[in-house]
Amino acid sequence: MKKQPEMQGRVKSISYAKWGYIFIIPFFIVYILFTLVPQFLTVYNSFFENYRIGLTQVGPNYVGLENYKALFTPQSDGTILILKYTANTFILWIIGAIPQFVIAMLLAVFFTSGRLNIKGQGFFKTVIYMPNLIMAAAFSMLIYTLFSKVGPIQLFLEHQGIIDKTFDFFAYRVSVRGMIAFMNFIMWFGNTTIVLMAGIMGIDQSLFESATIDGANAWQVFFKVTLPLLMPIFVYCFITAMIGGIQMFDVPQVLTKGDGLPNETTRTLVMYLNRYLSGASRNYGAAGAISVIIFIMTGVLGFVVYKMLAAQYQEKRSAPKYHRRRQRGENA
Amino acid sequence: MKKLFTILIVALMLVSIVACQKPKPAEQGKVFNIYAWNEEFKGFFEKYYKVPEGVTVNWIINPSDNGVYQQKLDEALLNQANAAADDKIDMFLAEADYIGKYVESDYTMDVTSFGFKNASTQYEYTIKAASDSKGVCKGVSFQCCPAAVIYRKSIAKDVLGTDVPEEVQAAIDSWEKFDAVAAQAKEKGYYMTASFAETFRAFSNNCTKPWVDENNNLQFDDQITAWIEQTEKYVQNGYTLTAGVWDQEKTNEMFATGKTMCFFGPAWYYNFCMNNAMDPNDGCVGDWCIVKGPQAYFWGGTWLLAATGSDNTEMLKDIFETFTVNTDVLKSMVKDDNQYVNNTDVVKEFAEDPNYGNTNILDGQNDIAVFYELAKDIKWENHTNYDQILNEGLQNKLQEYFKGSVDKETAMKNFYNYVKEQYNNIIVPEA
Amino acid sequence: MSENTKGRIKLLLLRIVVYAILIILSALCLFFFYLMVVNASRSNAELAKGFTLIPSGNFFTNLKNAWNDASINIPRGMLNSLIIALSTAVLTTYFSALTAYGVHVYDFKGKNLIFTFIMAIMMIPAQVSALGFVQLMNKFNLTNNYIPLIIPGIAAPVVFFYMKQYMESVLPLDVIDAARVDGSSEFRTFNTIVLPMLKPAIAVQMIFSFVSSWNNYFIPALLLDKAELKTVPIMIAQLRSADYSKFDMGKVYMFILLAILPVMITYIILSKSIIKGVTAGSVKG
Repeated sequence: MKKQPEMQGRVKSISYAKWGYIFIIPFFIVYILFTLVPQFLTVYNSFFENYRIGLTQVGPNYVGLENYKALFTPQSDGTILILKYTANTFILWIIGAIPQFVIAMLLAVFFTSGRLNIKGQGFFKTVIYMPNLIMAAAFSMLIYTLFSKVGPIQLFLEHQGIIDKTFDFFAYRVSVRGMIAFMNFIMWFGNTTIVLMAGIMGIDQSLFESATIDGANAWQVFFKVTLPLLMPIFVYCFITAMIGGIQMFDVPQVLTKGDGLPNETTRTLVMYLNRYLSGASRNYGAAGAISVIIFIMTGVLGFVVYKMLAAQYQEKRSAPKYHRRRQRGENA
Repeated sequence: MKKLFTILIVALMLVSIVACQKPKPAEQGKVFNIYAWNEEFKGFFEKYYKVPEGVTVNWIINPSDNGVYQQKLDEALLNQANAAADDKIDMFLAEADYIGKYVESDYTMDVTSFGFKNASTQYEYTIKAASDSKGVCKGVSFQCCPAAVIYRKSIAKDVLGTDVPEEVQAAIDSWEKFDAVAAQAKEKGYYMTASFAETFRAFSNNCTKPWVDENNNLQFDDQITAWIEQTEKYVQNGYTLTAGVWDQEKTNEMFATGKTMCFFGPAWYYNFCMNNAMDPNDGCVGDWCIVKGPQAYFWGGTWLLAATGSDNTEMLKDIFETFTVNTDVLKSMVKDDNQYVNNTDVVKEFAEDPNYGNTNILDGQNDIAVFYELAKDIKWENHTNYDQILNEGLQNKLQEYFKGSVDKETAMKNFYNYVKEQYNNIIVPEA
Repeated sequence: MSENTKGRIKLLLLRIVVYAILIILSALCLFFFYLMVVNASRSNAELAKGFTLIPSGNFFTNLKNAWNDASINIPRGMLNSLIIALSTAVLTTYFSALTAYGVHVYDFKGKNLIFTFIMAIMMIPAQVSALGFVQLMNKFNLTNNYIPLIIPGIAAPVVFFYMKQYMESVLPLDVIDAARVDGSSEFRTFNTIVLPMLKPAIAVQMIFSFVSSWNNYFIPALLLDKAELKTVPIMIAQLRSADYSKFDMGKVYMFILLAILPVMITYIILSKSIIKGVTAGSVKG
């Protein structure tokens, strides 16, 4: 113990900065080799005319912002397709994300609550995550058979006289969007629950104890201790869910057979992108432009959300952090 | 000294160029690469073709999901020139709806360049489909796909008072008559067809102009317009269901309990689409017959194309011959595999055989005889490289209109946008 | 009524509500698995007939057909997928934790810029670079090779972000100081002290990356075409686009069910380690 002051002096004098660089090097090498180059190609492509007619390549010819202009050219009735698909994407994401977050937060608190002391946690935790294990394409197949015109739900409702034979779940915006949101909810709420739960369990238990001793009730503990400390993880959940939402593809693609039924109201941005990318023309120019637009949109939103939420938790965190430090000091 | 050296080098190069151009006996490769999207042809190949000793056959099978098959095939063809001899594609498979894309390109090879001659027994249209605009043939088809109207005898009896093929054919040998029968069927509580697109191929195969004109303008043939008008009427009057061609709602109509009189398809349709009709408990084997219907047409088919750069040309020739002129093989394919093969002599023999009849699904009718007559009328005309995507897109977008979820104008607008996204070079009416 | 009894009744009511919610949600999730099992137990003809909730007797026939399929080697496919998914999961979590640690713990020039940069690349849709990626791999001659399927996992911005956030909420810097005082090298500190503290986070991200790699179809389908290298999702797509003589929906459902098993086992093992990791951590604290 005598040596401590001397050691501490040494610790301060040594610069550890180089270790920061060393630790992040593998990430960047791999990133540049496998991701940056293709991504750069994408942005580059967006300024070129570059597509195929059959097996004949047209371009690449530099066209400036033409690809972007084409995307924002209104139809004869005034709609701009890319804006329509953007709206679809957000609507689909939000109606699935609200129940996803509410339920996941509730479950995470239930599971970690010592007072509730839920039995069979292992079972419940396994089961709620299971839908995430099914491939989206296979899950869509299942939902499709359930709601198809000869599926059990249609037949049951027909039998009850609620709908007639001509009714079709896939002909209504509300029902198709509902199905997609439901699938996203079922597939992802378990995932979010686990992340939030791991976050709550990572919080120092003594904080909950001391809060309870101080006479805080369950609500107060949640809002004053759990939530502020969980904020970084919550921000992670929210932003990644949002990115996932903007990139929504498999579920609506398979469920509506790529068409975004009805009347393209469930067609998302990436479905739009996919038609250019793997469509017959391999129109890399248009695909590149849509990609760049999606990227800018995600980036702006991501940063706004991050800054907003991060600012909030950094304020709230200062108190508990101090509290924790003090406690650790006492233990030592 | 330097000059001499240069001259020597130049001379050497010249010699080597000349040597390369000299036709030398083609050395045959040891690896034969075949691109395919499923194992249908692989089955026939392994059953009927004897691979020469010392040659390994590589099947590169990529599912057609998400366009993966064509995507990978295209990449491989574009790289063909740089690929090592054993990695080059020797042969690949293509369907009727997009064969033009490959046939018209330099990535497929003239079959006469390796000594294959089309036989007079091959169906003319299968040769035309595999030939480019200059008439150079690049491959062969191992099947021929004349298509017919497959009807339920019991329903025909109830609606028309007869289930005899000749009389049924007389009742539906034009679209006017077909429509009239549809109305009769409706009165008796039946559907004429089970899918809004059931009759599509019968119309689209008889188009008199291609989907896209020489200036790349999208154009609607009268046959397509006629199909749209007919379907509008059928849906409105309840003559048909609004299911897609492959939907369960349609195939359920093939059970004994089904209420639909007519289905449209070629020989492969039995096995591919009519499993429900052949169900041992709920099916109705023997309650079916086939007739020509309102107009002759064909549907589908798989072609084998020779890839430029193949070093196994002798084997290519062998394979092509096996599946077009080897009568032992072809007879066995008809008898054992339910195929309608691409050899007029072989199918004629079955058509004229009084002992031959289909009892797998039909009532013992000689369906080869019907198909044989129909196949005579098949023409390969007005096809474009765009057909697959345009036919599919039109059906999908109009289905929403027929189901009532959008008006016709919106459906057409969605179709035009779809075309623009798929083909940058096609000019569509202002959407 | 005493405060105590009131509290107890309240707790009892709360428990009833909580269990009810859990049971409803679990039933909903299990329902889809039940459907899969039912479908996997039906023959192709039965599936064509329509929907039912009652299992049929073809389960083992389908299993046998799927397992013994001549052209699709299911055990091989599962082994291939396992190799790829496991290596990806390990590399992704380890290197993301390492990168996040580098950014979280050390102060160096450009640190904020780097964090911002990784956050930005996280926003780029994966589909965007997919085709460029495939073209590039074709040029590098890396098709029919597992490298392009495994190595890119080292640079996973989303996992990095999670690790960074997790460290922010649970990793006290004074632990690292203490390790330094004890003379531990930076690398050793990370491996022996920090990694164990991150156990729950690592387990969570292992599961997620394992599952997404296991279920990945698009990129592997474009890169692999040798039969002996194909992964499970490619095989399922191949079964689904099989020609009529071999088309068997019962087999497809059986294969989908089989494909879920390894993921489920991995999940169950790792979800135990989440709990263990946390209890171990709290004992230490």
